[in-house]
Amino acid sequence: MQKFLDRWGRLAAAVFLIAVAGFSGAARAQGTDAAALDRPGFVAGLCGGAGPMAQAIAGGLESLAAASPEDVTWMAGIVAALGARQLRCVEPGGLILTAGAATDAVTGATVSPPGSPRTPVLNLRSRGAVENLEAALTLLSSRDAPSRQRALALLSRRPDAVPPTVFARATDLAATTAERDAIAELSVIAALSSPDMPARLAAIAGLAAEPNRRTLLRLETLREDPAYGTDTAFRDTVDAAIADSSFWVKLSSVLSVAYNGISYASILFIAALGLAVIFGLMGVINLAQGEFIMLGAYTAFMVQEGVRSVAPGLIDFYLIIAVPFVFLVTALLGILVEATIVRHLYRRPLMTLLATWAVSLFLINLVRVTFGTQNLQFVTPSYVTGGFTLVGDFIVTYNRLFAIVFAAAVLALAWFVLQRTGLGLNIRTVTQNRDMAGCIGIPTRRVDRLAFGLGSGLAGLAGLALAPIYNVNPLMGTNFIIESFMVVVLGGVGTIGGTLIASLGIGQINVMIEPLYGAVAAKVIVLLLIIAFIQWRPEGLFPAPGRRK
Amino acid sequence: MNKFSRRSFLRTSGLVAAGITGSLAMPGLIRPSLAQNGSVKLGCLFSSSGTMANIEGRLNDVVKMAAAELNAAGGVLGKTVEVIVSDPASDWPLYAQTGRQMLQQEKVAALFGCWTSVSRKSVLPVVEQDDGLLFYPLHFEGDENSKNVVYVNSPPASSVLPAVDYLMSEDGVSAKRFFLLGSDYVWPRTINKQLKGYFASKGIEPAAIREEYVPFGFSNFQTLVNQIREFADGTGGQPVVILTTVGNSIPDFFREFANQGILATDVPVLGLDALEADFEGLDTAALVGHLNCWAYLQAVEAPENDKFKADWAAYVGANNVPYRPDVVIDPMVSAYDSVKLWAMAAEKAGNFDVPEVRSAFAGIGFKDPSGYDIAMTADNNYVSRGVFIGSLNAQQSFDILWQSEGTPKPEPFSTFG
Repeated sequence: MQKFLDRWGRLAAAVFLIAVAGFSGAARAQGTDAAALDRPGFVAGLCGGAGPMAQAIAGGLESLAAASPEDVTWMAGIVAALGARQLRCVEPGGLILTAGAATDAVTGATVSPPGSPRTPVLNLRSRGAVENLEAALTLLSSRDAPSRQRALALLSRRPDAVPPTVFARATDLAATTAERDAIAELSVIAALSSPDMPARLAAIAGLAAEPNRRTLLRLETLREDPAYGTDTAFRDTVDAAIADSSFWVKLSSVLSVAYNGISYASILFIAALGLAVIFGLMGVINLAQGEFIMLGAYTAFMVQEGVRSVAPGLIDFYLIIAVPFVFLVTALLGILVEATIVRHLYRRPLMTLLATWAVSLFLINLVRVTFGTQNLQFVTPSYVTGGFTLVGDFIVTYNRLFAIVFAAAVLALAWFVLQRTGLGLNIRTVTQNRDMAGCIGIPTRRVDRLAFGLGSGLAGLAGLALAPIYNVNPLMGTNFIIESFMVVVLGGVGTIGGTLIASLGIGQINVMIEPLYGAVAAKVIVLLLIIAFIQWRPEGLFPAPGRRK
Repeated sequence: MNKFSRRSFLRTSGLVAAGITGSLAMPGLIRPSLAQNGSVKLGCLFSSSGTMANIEGRLNDVVKMAAAELNAAGGVLGKTVEVIVSDPASDWPLYAQTGRQMLQQEKVAALFGCWTSVSRKSVLPVVEQDDGLLFYPLHFEGDENSKNVVYVNSPPASSVLPAVDYLMSEDGVSAKRFFLLGSDYVWPRTINKQLKGYFASKGIEPAAIREEYVPFGFSNFQTLVNQIREFADGTGGQPVVILTTVGNSIPDFFREFANQGILATDVPVLGLDALEADFEGLDTAALVGHLNCWAYLQAVEAPENDKFKADWAAYVGANNVPYRPDVVIDPMVSAYDSVKLWAMAAEKAGNFDVPEVRSAFAGIGFKDPSGYDIAMTADNNYVSRGVFIGSLNAQQSFDILWQSEGTPKPEPFSTFG
């Protein structure tokens, strides 16, 4: 795919450089006799209410091709102040208010801030226009690479909103060749309806190099074009581009279903893993499992606050720093619960259900009293914010990616502990035959305690992984408990592999049913499928070896 | 280890059953905040546990604050107002049970409560049987007119339809296509039915409308946001999302929406239930521009609003209430309005009896924190309120984009759908 993109990308860029050179020449010729920007008029427009504001912004965008560099810088300042809500309207004109100081919006002179100036509010129509204008201004005035990147990304949503002359000027100012190519690709849309046939063909090829539903739609409208009927070269290019784009669009939707399924599965898996250890290995129905997840998230929050006060520079990495803390705190709490309550009830499984339910109610109320009921304010580090487009319309979101990677890491850790350590061996031994294990000298009580601690710690880690995706409040755990039980029962009590396969299955089926029958039906259908499966194989997917009980 | 006898099974399941009924009954215990002779009792039906706890729970305190204000001014008809709070634990049948208990045993003069339409629908038969009075502070789906319920907030014709009109106007986004996404219960389904009727009357083809529902408490919006993107990429004009999910599904939806890189300028969301409090804990910089519509927004510039916000902050500080002092939401103002309207009607009737209080409703009204003169008529128990359309900003609150000229006359029954 990369090779394909390179090939067409280079061709498109080459042709576009020629086209753009023509444009910019025209723009420069125009620029020499352009009047200076009407600064007071622009500010008055921004302050004049919805209609004049939209006009001023549209006018500002039009004037960019010819505006002097000073005017561009000035306008960038005003638009940034408008976006940051620092622009205030007074009679006449406006002023920019920053941390106590006020400057006149037109002249830049320091003025004394008046009583209660009005803040202009952007409606949706002008907000879109302001975004375009701000991005165009960034390309024309800023040298800051990340903000130029952001501006390009934004303009690629609505490339037809910006006049080609502005793109031409931006191309002249491009910092790198890659950036010049990117800008050239944006002005592709303008060339689609150009009278010059080679430019049109190159534009079509340029569109096909970025295959997604929007470009596919644009290409399909070209079939209505008169040239499609008369010019065979044009028709062939359009048909080839459509065939190619629709392939990538289809592929991207398949990929995104798979990704959605895997990311949902990773959430199910990570929430169910602790339960699989405790319920599966120890036979304890731990209804407080969801609350250990919640406590894990709260511990992560405490770590965040700690990092904020001790080392504010590391705040972006608090999720990583929190991992050992979260595991230790929830594991110790699990051990405490085991030592005080659960150990008395090992031979009465239904009583553990009741006792752990009481623990869950207690923990919810404890957190409610201590922290309150509102959703916690988590800092969202850059690595779990937003996402990137991989191909077509397939967006990989970082928070889900984080959950997938984290789930894989936790899987590896749990597998290692259970299969490769002495503790794991003991846990598996006690699971198979508690009395016999005791007879050969395994301290079953201590093994129980450590296994419960391990399960609780894993639940805590689940809370940490879920914090960037879901709301964190005292009740968050209750949402996971039912789904976790479904996964564990379906997977076959006590096997990590079963838990993994079951969560992948439930996740993927859910995601595939949802678009067809809706989210409500998906939940019901999945539940019915699980019930049917359990009827057929009561021990789940991977039953523990041994005689049927 | 997994073996248990029939006897132990019966004993344990008995305990479990007792535990379940016990824990359900426990939050229903009614706690009088103060007991005095010569007082009149008001009952609160707001959950402070369960899924609705975070937003609904604070209304208990608003009612107490309003009552304290009345008491400071000498009470109502010379009697001290006593507020009785309960906790129906977001469990809809428990609202009816607690409401009945308050009316029959505590003899409350009026009930203030319910958030979701489900809870109102379950209290409705109780207040109708006992001829009680329920003040309902949420904007809602309409299509209901009981003489025992005072609908303090707006029916769809006065809140939702103006907001949709705004979206379809040039100053909005000239919306042409609509993705209706809601939780699966009464209010979203009724609203969407009416909206579809309204769109049909505006000449919008059914193909331009897509309707999806999610279970109560749903949080995994990945697939649905994908569907929204696919819908948005189609032809036929500007797409918008009209969101009627409730509770924690609101922040979860917005988080996923922002993460998939959709801006309000691409596909705006009109969150019919979205309140300032729903955005606590969210980074709203990526969500700036999304809309909501209510009869009050925190950004209202009115001396009444300044006073209300200051009163709430002082109340939170003085009583150690576990809610944020700087967040005020429409249902809080509506709950406050409810208590004031009840007190005015009782004063006018000279009596606390429900039939007389009810017949005193006509003509009462005052300037509430929204800055509008709210008013009641003799036609029904609806209150005329103003309407605001808000635009989400980076500070987790809403700027006022549009507000109604005056207070539109409420129409209980929709002519659409």
